[in-house]
Amino acid sequence: MRPLDWIVLVTTLFSIVAYGLYRSRGSNTVDRYLLAGKTMPWYAMALSIMATQASAITFISTTGQAYTDGMRFVQFYFGLPIAMIIICATVVPVFHRAKVYTAYEYLEKRFDSKTRILASLIFLFQRGLSAGMTIYAPAIVLSIILGWPERMTTSIMGAIVVTYTVLGGIKAVTWSDVQQMCVIFLGLIIALVTVFVLLPNSVSISDAVYLAGSAGRLNAVTTNFTWNDRFNLWSGLFGGTFLFLSYFGCDQSQVQRYLTGKSISESRLSLLFNAVAKIPMQFFILFIGAMVFVFYLFAQPPVIFHRAELARIQTRPEYAGLEQRYNRAFEHRRDAALAIAQARHASDDATLERTRQEYRVAESELNEVHSEAQTLVGVAGGEKGFTDTNYIFLSFVTRYLPVGIVGLVIAVIFAATMSASSGEINSLATVAIVDIYRRYVKQGASDHHYLVASRWATLFWGVYAVLFAGLAGRMGSLIVAVNKIGSLFYGTLLGCFVLAFVFRRVRGTATFFGMLVGEAAILSTAAFTDVSWLWYNPIGCAVVVITALGITYLLPGDASTAPGTLPA
Amino acid sequence: MPELREVPDEAPPFLGTWKRVYIGVAIYLIAVIAGAYLFTRAYR
Repeated sequence: MRPLDWIVLVTTLFSIVAYGLYRSRGSNTVDRYLLAGKTMPWYAMALSIMATQASAITFISTTGQAYTDGMRFVQFYFGLPIAMIIICATVVPVFHRAKVYTAYEYLEKRFDSKTRILASLIFLFQRGLSAGMTIYAPAIVLSIILGWPERMTTSIMGAIVVTYTVLGGIKAVTWSDVQQMCVIFLGLIIALVTVFVLLPNSVSISDAVYLAGSAGRLNAVTTNFTWNDRFNLWSGLFGGTFLFLSYFGCDQSQVQRYLTGKSISESRLSLLFNAVAKIPMQFFILFIGAMVFVFYLFAQPPVIFHRAELARIQTRPEYAGLEQRYNRAFEHRRDAALAIAQARHASDDATLERTRQEYRVAESELNEVHSEAQTLVGVAGGEKGFTDTNYIFLSFVTRYLPVGIVGLVIAVIFAATMSASSGEINSLATVAIVDIYRRYVKQGASDHHYLVASRWATLFWGVYAVLFAGLAGRMGSLIVAVNKIGSLFYGTLLGCFVLAFVFRRVRGTATFFGMLVGEAAILSTAAFTDVSWLWYNPIGCAVVVITALGITYLLPGDASTAPGTLPA
Repeated sequence: MPELREVPDEAPPFLGTWKRVYIGVAIYLIAVIAGAYLFTRAYR
């Protein structure tokens, strides 16, 4: 990072925070602080929803995934439009008309207090763990890129997020998100243009796309099906729909965004914007990763992209042999890629087929050496099972992008972290105050009291997230487990809301026990099978619904217990 | 805490009804999947 990069980074971050705080003026009542007084326009909510969902690791990891595995990850989002249509038609009007601050407040109106508290606690537990990880995951990568200690990057990002979230509430969060999404879009477009500019003169954009396709990196749709394959058309359409129904229908970090809408229509439009824009956006990010792959066909990539781990294995006696094989395989692959481009220009099919075969052999050799180098990291005392996927994009950015643009892309990573994290902290504070504090600790206090309590709760969750991010570094392989926490709980919450909206006869006790059984089913599936986590949501949801219906119809006493105040 | 205000439910700004908007989004999804499939086939 050079001085101009620092200027761009600091100016961008300062502008985002200042603008968010400026737009949050007047958040001096609790309904304005938590729900912006229900005044937000659709486009602000839409970008805020998108920003909250897109954490930094989305950009770092997604591009790396396209580099190594191609674009099939985009299928994960095919269920999103379906989920958005269902939520717009059912959940959005019901939540608005119920005049609730949180999704779980509605559950007490519909069922009873124990269902509400169970759902609230599940959310606080799951999202609380996730909030720390949202800050920690990009901090690891940024620490390596910037050469800072992890504690410093988590503290800087945490301090900025906590400041504007505590001071400005949801308005500051939403308007900062809008700015952050604009920075993210700008940074990504510039990154793609730069990749094209850096390609050799003899390789056109059309050649680059052709080469990426030949290397299997443009596999946007795969129609084969297996239960443990996370990304194919069917798991995307079915598993993805359930996941996004859970996320946008039952997770307060998303529900709170669209509850700020000044009308039901504005809330619907914000969600439908995401339904339409999200797939192209993910496609675009993956496409950047595929083009970075093409760039590295002609510029030699490091043996592994993690600088510190590369330095670690360079001291091993095996490294010299690996490096020689790597250099040779790279040269073969580069020559084959250039020959493919030339044969394509000459429309020489026989040469094209022969050079493609040469390319495949060289690619296979390069991957083998790369895989051996990653294994060597574990042998040399590094992390066992180490992969460098998350370091590919930022390594490219810092090595090849022009001065100023590096600062902008690092700002994108900071912005994405801050937007995802502020939404989480804000929603955690809202549930803690509305569903726990106001309901069980102090009822009937003044508006000012709850406003002050909300600010303190926001500060508490912000500090908690930063502290948890600090501890995450010592958790080793548990980090992987923590990342899957969301999918372990969403199915249960979704089942609860499906019962609330669809099955009029089902009451609180049946739902409560259905949730307990559903959670046990998901945890058992995770512990004893190799079913992909994308399927936990439909499984959990189905078990909750079937159990609650069974209790309702087999033990009809529950049907006669006092229902909540709202119909399904 | 103050009770939240009632918010209006208006017609969409285009296509007349929400049902038509939802159908439009569903058609869009089909088109996107078809486009992505053709893209994959074209560059396989």
